[in-house]
Amino acid sequence: MSIAQYSRQMSALDQPQVDSYLEDFLKRVRPRLKYLFARYSIPSQDTEDILQQALLALVYQRHAVRDPEAWLLGTLRNKCLLYWRDHRRKLYESVDAAVLELMAGAVSPAQETSDVQRDLENALGRLPERCRSLLSLRYRGYQPLELAEALGYKPASISKVTNRCLAALTRQLLTVSPSKKKTGT
Amino acid sequence: MTDDHPTRESLERFLLGQLPASEMRLVSRHLFTGCAECRRIAGDDWETEGGEAAGAREDCTGVLDAYDAVFDKVLQRVSLKEALIARERMAARELCEELTQHPTSRQLLLVSNSVRFRNPALCDLLLERSQEAAFQAEMTRSIDLARLAIVLAETLTEEGCGSAEVRNGLLMRAWAQLGNAHRLNGEHPEAEQAFEAANTFLGEDGQFGLLDAARVLDLEASLRRDQRRFDEAMDLLDRVVAIYQQLGQRSLLGRALKQKSLVCGEAGDLESEMDLLKQSLEHIDPVEEPRTFLSARHNLVIALYQSGRASEAFTLLFHTRPLYLKMGDRMTLLRLRWVEGMVACGMGRAEQAEVAFREVRDAFVELQLDYDAAVVSLDLAGVYVLQGRSADLRRLAEEMLAVFTSRNIPREAFGALLFFCEAAKLEKAEAAVVHEVSEFLKRARGNPDLRFTPTSW
Repeated sequence: MSIAQYSRQMSALDQPQVDSYLEDFLKRVRPRLKYLFARYSIPSQDTEDILQQALLALVYQRHAVRDPEAWLLGTLRNKCLLYWRDHRRKLYESVDAAVLELMAGAVSPAQETSDVQRDLENALGRLPERCRSLLSLRYRGYQPLELAEALGYKPASISKVTNRCLAALTRQLLTVSPSKKKTGT
Repeated sequence: MTDDHPTRESLERFLLGQLPASEMRLVSRHLFTGCAECRRIAGDDWETEGGEAAGAREDCTGVLDAYDAVFDKVLQRVSLKEALIARERMAARELCEELTQHPTSRQLLLVSNSVRFRNPALCDLLLERSQEAAFQAEMTRSIDLARLAIVLAETLTEEGCGSAEVRNGLLMRAWAQLGNAHRLNGEHPEAEQAFEAANTFLGEDGQFGLLDAARVLDLEASLRRDQRRFDEAMDLLDRVVAIYQQLGQRSLLGRALKQKSLVCGEAGDLESEMDLLKQSLEHIDPVEEPRTFLSARHNLVIALYQSGRASEAFTLLFHTRPLYLKMGDRMTLLRLRWVEGMVACGMGRAEQAEVAFREVRDAFVELQLDYDAAVVSLDLAGVYVLQGRSADLRRLAEEMLAVFTSRNIPREAFGALLFFCEAAKLEKAEAAVVHEVSEFLKRARGNPDLRFTPTSW
């Protein structure tokens, strides 16, 4: 007997009867859910939290949800996108931290810092003007509020704009220019 | 790193932000130098893993079986929680009954201090009751219950609720319910504050349920509509529509489209209002939600009449009449009679319109629904103006003055009525005056801050 079966039997004995519609429901939708996780390339170990949160929310909101299958698929799709957005944010932050550290020269000899500056300028040069200005100032040591003032952004929105620019910089790092694609390094 | 190139695994972990800081720095540095091979590998993985917005992988056969073990484990855990939630629901009813035996101050004390009441289902129930109270125009009770729900939600923990999402959902819905109750009570600054608090949970971290978010945005849109900030109301409702589309909730989508139609109606855009109502009716199931369906049809009949398409309004009303009769409650039947009067008026059947408006006005006065009585009185005045019956118009104005002087009509609305009565007395109450006062009363209903500035006389 599985733990779930056992616990249901116990709860039937010592608790008021609970209609567990979840098992049947999940059996029906399982293939579609698995396909969805696979489509979004969510590693199986990371689906645990995502699925559990969504199912719990469904149980809590059961009375308000008219079409549970559509709700669950829509919710999970959103959570998969958030999962990747979260990972991407971590990546942008890491790239940012790495650049700040390299620019500070704390861990690199002078020659390397100068090479980094050159490579960074090359990468920044391929970004849109607004991002180029913002990141150039950021890597020259401007703090967020100073950046907002210098570039005319609202202080409340500077973090969002900076993240967008970091995303653009990271994408730049992962883009092979057409000439290099043909010839390699 | 091999030969100064990061390994494939390092690149994968770099993309997931999972490398130690020092290695993240090295890989970033390497990519800055423009290594085409590593950029190509990382770029390919970037596209595959989650992709950009819609970048989902199509070919996923072979990886599906890996999910089964996780699904089984999660099902076991959630099944246990499901039983617990069912018990919490049953307990919540009793706790709610117990709470309502006490005065409000004691209720707040109990909910803050007694562990027994820390039940998410109780919070849900309090919100439901607050909404019911608002429907029955018991505004003080509605506000008190919403406040109680906030205090209770603040005592709940993520663990107790199962997740941060459920807890945040309760908190933001409780604040939004309070905001809505204040809005309905004409207290816009208080409503504004409550929605500000609700919005703090709609942050970028995504720790909220989409359905909860849609409810909050929907209620906030009603406040913006009342404040006549129509663009903001439409933006909010666009987000609500997008959420319901994403979650495949047709019925709720129909309701949201109906909400959008109300905003267009208030803004005077009758064509968009009618388009949205037609779209809304395609999504609302008349069997499952007969009242919402009827309300959308009712609004469409009025919009058709207001846009001068009385015969279309007449046909639609003919087909909708059975739904009003099926509902059968007095207010629904009065609304039917009222809209019958409007359509008759539009069709040039002034006598039928007069009889209908009189019946409805008398019923509203009897039920002490003063505001509605005032609005329907102006519809009646419109009939008299069309027929040039100035003596009847004067008499109607005197009757209105006698009834509404001693009643609960907000100051600005009463001022507008006085303006109409004065014009009628001086035989200057033409169609434009009646229309202006009537439109003002409709707009000022949800917006007590609106000022009446007559232009038609």
